[in-house]
Amino acid sequence: MDNFLIIFLYFDPGLGAMIVQGLIAAAAGILLFSKGVMYKVKSFFGLIKKEDDTYDSIDIEEEDTESHDKTD
Amino acid sequence: MTKPINTSHEASFRDPCGYMFYDGKILRRAINPIYFPQYNKLKESGFLATLIKKGLLIGHEETSVSEENIIITPEHIPFITNPYEWSFEQFRHAALLTLQIQKYALSKGFILKDASAYNVTFHKGKPIFIDTLSFDFYVEDTPWRAYKQFITHFFGPLVLAKYHGSEIFKMLQTHIDGIPVKLIASMLPGKTKLSSTLYTNIHLLAKMESKHSEDYKAETKVAKLSKKAQNNILTSLFDYIKKLKLNEESEWGDYYEKTNYDDQAFEAKKQLIKEWVLPLNAQKLIDIGGNDGTFAREFLSVVKDVIVTDIDSNSVGYNYHQVQRNNEGNMLPFVSDILQPAPGLGFNNTERNSLIERLAIYGPDVTLALALIHHITLSGNVPFYKSAEFFAKFSKHLIIEFPKREDSWVESLLVRKREFINHFDFYNETNFREEYSLFFQLEKKQAISGTQRVLYHFKNKELFN
Repeated sequence: MDNFLIIFLYFDPGLGAMIVQGLIAAAAGILLFSKGVMYKVKSFFGLIKKEDDTYDSIDIEEEDTESHDKTD
Repeated sequence: MTKPINTSHEASFRDPCGYMFYDGKILRRAINPIYFPQYNKLKESGFLATLIKKGLLIGHEETSVSEENIIITPEHIPFITNPYEWSFEQFRHAALLTLQIQKYALSKGFILKDASAYNVTFHKGKPIFIDTLSFDFYVEDTPWRAYKQFITHFFGPLVLAKYHGSEIFKMLQTHIDGIPVKLIASMLPGKTKLSSTLYTNIHLLAKMESKHSEDYKAETKVAKLSKKAQNNILTSLFDYIKKLKLNEESEWGDYYEKTNYDDQAFEAKKQLIKEWVLPLNAQKLIDIGGNDGTFAREFLSVVKDVIVTDIDSNSVGYNYHQVQRNNEGNMLPFVSDILQPAPGLGFNNTERNSLIERLAIYGPDVTLALALIHHITLSGNVPFYKSAEFFAKFSKHLIIEFPKREDSWVESLLVRKREFINHFDFYNETNFREEYSLFFQLEKKQAISGTQRVLYHFKNKELFN
């Protein structure tokens, strides 16, 4: 894959925006970790409410389609 | 050069990877050789197929393959809504969809090379990604190049809407490439600096952007970011947006409590409209000023494609909420102000079509305009012939309700004119009918029992000649 050229960008990604992502990621990491701990504590005490939203998770489930692909 | 410039779509000239063009009436996408490696890999790995099957990316058929280009034909979307026409919920879902796709892409060795809000529109009741060429290969340990675009197109406007209301989305009409980060930061209250997500993604970003804005020679070292770190950014943005709510949000539900007629009259009106619309065998219907879609919803089972627009973002939001809850794939709600419809935007004023152009292309068989004319005429000071001209630009059959001067809402609108009330003596049925007859042919009229309102059915003179 590395021998393919990456398409040059037709808009400015912003240098500051490229550099700052490290810091943002660090802050996000701490936040997600502490949320994870809180979640475990809450679920231990049975305090988790099920939310009803079409966009529950950032992760796209793909088991069904993958297995389908393989049988094609 | 083989590029069919005269038929290429006005919204796609920036991307070197390909462009959209009209082949007769069909919109197709040409892929240039520079993008062949990406496209082939996206296709062979099943990546595109998975997103399409999941309903996250618009489907397409491969029409032709040659050395010069690959032509694909995307599934037809009857009506494109733009980000400044979405309710808060729609905007939120479009942002979440973009993050989902980027995270999934990353897990498969790709990235979204841009995160423009125009890459998303609403189709079959859900947001859908429409730019098939937005993907590129992921290079290990590189930051997300579209990150800033995601902030200026999605995250910033959403957070601003929380504090200033969804009116803020209209700013995207003047900032076609998103609201500048510095401007977003300056419009947020000081307390937002206390939120680690808002501080880093907006305030710190704005600071860093100003600091590095003069690095013309690109002297600063290239930044690195691990995949895991990037996933953390995506997940934290996703979690934040998922919980985001408008401060001003009103409770949904009682929209029709405010009508000035009783349940019986309401039912009578519904029945009458149904009786008139059904024989027209409409495939496409638009309800202008249609509130939360109560009337248009009556036609979902018989009309293939229904659009409802209203000036009130909250009722559009409530409509969208019902679309989600009831899985109404053929209902599309969006926000618009008829007195100031969305203009043509961008380079040459043609990158984004004006609302009227899009409506004319859509070509609804039936246009409903219920409880609207008194607002256009009396609040907007628009003469009858001018509103008739507006409707005539895109309506074949116009079913329009005329509240007489005796109607309590008309009375109150007139009273508010105070000493100028006499300037509005023209507001009566005779003038209305005469001026609308300049553009339309009167088919039927009938008083709605129990109200001071009359329902008219007009047929467009030009579109039927």
